Amino acid sequence: MLKIRIVCKLLFLFIVVFSLTGCWDRNELEDKSYVIGIGLDHSKHEGKIKVTMLLANPEVGSIQGGGGSTEKPREIISFDANDIIAAKGTANAIISRIITYDLLKIIVVSEEFAKDSNFFNVINGVINDKEIRMNCYLAVSKEMASEYFLKNHPRMETRPHKYFQYMVDHGIENGLIPDSTLFRFFKTTDRGADLFLAMYTTAIREKSPEIKGEDEYMAGQLNATGEFDDTQFIGSAVFKNGVMIGKLNGRDTRAINILDDTTNISDLLLDIPNPFSEQNQSIAARIMKTENNKVKMDLKGARPKIFITVPLKVDIMTNPSMVNFVQGKNRQILKKHMIRHFEKINEDLLKRTQTELKGAPYPLSLYARKYFGSIPEFNQFNWPKSYLKADIKVKADIEIVNYGKIVKKPRKVKG
Amino acid sequence: MNQQPIKLGIREYVSIAVLMVGAKAMEDTPAMLFKQVHNAAWMIPILSGAFFFITLFLLLKTLSVFQDKNLFVVIQLLLGRFLGFIVCLLIFLIFSFAISIDTRTYTNIINTFYFNTTPKQVIYALLMAVCAYGAKKGIQHVGSVAYLLVFYAALSMALALFLSTQDSNIQAMLPIWGTGKLEIMRNGVLRISTFADFFLLAMLIPLLKSNKEFRKGTWIAYVSVIIQISVSVLIFICMFDNSLEGIGYPFHTAIRYISLGSYIPNIEIVFFVIWILAAIIRFTTLLYIIAMMFGHIFKIKDFEYLIPSLAAVYLLIGSIPESTIDVSLKLKLYLTYTIGPMLTAIAIILWLAALLKGEFKHAKNKNSM
Repeated sequence: MLKIRIVCKLLFLFIVVFSLTGCWDRNELEDKSYVIGIGLDHSKHEGKIKVTMLLANPEVGSIQGGGGSTEKPREIISFDANDIIAAKGTANAIISRIITYDLLKIIVVSEEFAKDSNFFNVINGVINDKEIRMNCYLAVSKEMASEYFLKNHPRMETRPHKYFQYMVDHGIENGLIPDSTLFRFFKTTDRGADLFLAMYTTAIREKSPEIKGEDEYMAGQLNATGEFDDTQFIGSAVFKNGVMIGKLNGRDTRAINILDDTTNISDLLLDIPNPFSEQNQSIAARIMKTENNKVKMDLKGARPKIFITVPLKVDIMTNPSMVNFVQGKNRQILKKHMIRHFEKINEDLLKRTQTELKGAPYPLSLYARKYFGSIPEFNQFNWPKSYLKADIKVKADIEIVNYGKIVKKPRKVKG
Repeated sequence: MNQQPIKLGIREYVSIAVLMVGAKAMEDTPAMLFKQVHNAAWMIPILSGAFFFITLFLLLKTLSVFQDKNLFVVIQLLLGRFLGFIVCLLIFLIFSFAISIDTRTYTNIINTFYFNTTPKQVIYALLMAVCAYGAKKGIQHVGSVAYLLVFYAALSMALALFLSTQDSNIQAMLPIWGTGKLEIMRNGVLRISTFADFFLLAMLIPLLKSNKEFRKGTWIAYVSVIIQISVSVLIFICMFDNSLEGIGYPFHTAIRYISLGSYIPNIEIVFFVIWILAAIIRFTTLLYIIAMMFGHIFKIKDFEYLIPSLAAVYLLIGSIPESTIDVSLKLKLYLTYTIGPMLTAIAIILWLAALLKGEFKHAKNKNSM
């Protein structure tokens, strides 16, 4: 009897183990095609959109030290569809494997389509999808998104998911592109009070772009030569209520990323005009933002007043006019100059957002909420309108923590 | 059951209570709260907790007079045979309805977020089968499993919430009064059903070591559950802001979003496993208690054998609604609004009956003797 019981139990265990694989939701890596990027464009046909899919081959590069297959790392297909979700099924007419959006990293929208009022309806379909994660990035491309994926040929990172992940992560760390996840996009649009910045990118280099400051470029304007991929991520596209209304270059995007406490920028390198020399030799500095901004508002009057204090820590990296920083006087000059420089840049930028973009470029309305007791009161105040009239004062609280490795006055070279 | 069963200790009882009620923070309750009062939704659990405190206090006070007697026995003793029967039947029916709807909600979550192509009926049937099996084993086993699980559940919940705070903004909880103080008060009263399960747990009294342990355990679980639900709602508000209104199941959306750095990006499965274990404990206990009620009402001594058939009935009832929207927006709302006032009324009636019959005095006299 005992034996039979043991055998029965073992058999039961086996059956349970088999059921663990599941029947309906069983997935085979071999059988899947992961979409890493989706491109959205206008279609020539009424009521349709052009969907581009960048599909990664999961077999490539998965085995350490090579020895993998000789298949191509990616496939790109473009076709006209009604929406992104049903396009998955249509695409199976071409792609042999099951298409999934599980690992979707980036949605690229052409500038032309992003400006269309229909865009938000299309992108809104993403919310209902069960596979797309909200930490997927939203980017705007200068050209057609279908062209963008075709032109984009990374030399080093052939696996597309790694390429986009690194490219975007480091761009955000440097502050040159905004942290534009779908999560933030829908959150900002649902809030309805502020503008949203999406990263701007292109795979086409301009023919003869002019040379500008280190971060004043838009994507495609950086004139680099050599052997590399043409794709550039810099600057941002501005969305209001889910429709693109303008663009900001790398410098403005950086300034906004510094103002915005909800993004994670680590430290950025930039040039600051030199206060010690008339010649246009600027000082390179490393800006670190470790503390949050302090925002105070006075919303009682006809013209609301907003005071923003930005605490920054600065490392001086170069000293082109050979100034002796051991002297306290020179340090004071530099500090005062930097404070003036930052305040001017930020105030000018915010003024421009009030007049040109007509909205706050980052979730500034959140700080206004605490001055109201309830939502009806806040709605009555009408933040989007009040912001346009607001008098904004930016105060930079700069602390220069490091003057470089050399403290002694360097020797001047006669020339 | 012929041999003397092992009784539940206070830690098993607290674990069961915490898992049962605390699970509400991880389904659609936060979103439902947000719909009404927006960013003041985190206050609702605290307020309803305060209101339900009265109900629970009266109930526990009444029950403390009757040592080692469960809720239904007390109801029948106090209200007489006929009236007691009707009240017991009413409680049984309403919780039967609640368990069908809740299991259906969980099936929807599993189907929407994790097993998309698996037919809903299969998931539902599996869930009910597991719960029925667990309940058949007896509440002592459920208690031990709950005690094993509760720390993992708390830990994973805390980790998920902690990771969520990285992408959230505390300013989203302002303006502090949400849609208005009056609205908050109103919803605080309406939502007392959040804690209705504590009412049910009074059925377990004879299985506990003593009435004192039951009272002590209930208060511990009650306070920790209020804090847990309130904090998680607050974090979801800070994370999703206005979008929370459109998100059905914020916990599951959140765990799909968060990541442990860029090298371990998609970690929802870890939380899912613990969540589903907690859900199974919840429904197992519910099923056991309901079967106990049924057994008591219709005088069936070995009520454990009823569990599989009851589970099958609830499975059928839960399968009736056609879609998720019917379940969470309509049926659940009716249930929420009726269950709270009804239980409060029953608790007050019981207390009044005990007071008028002089049960409190009897107990005092007995103690002084």
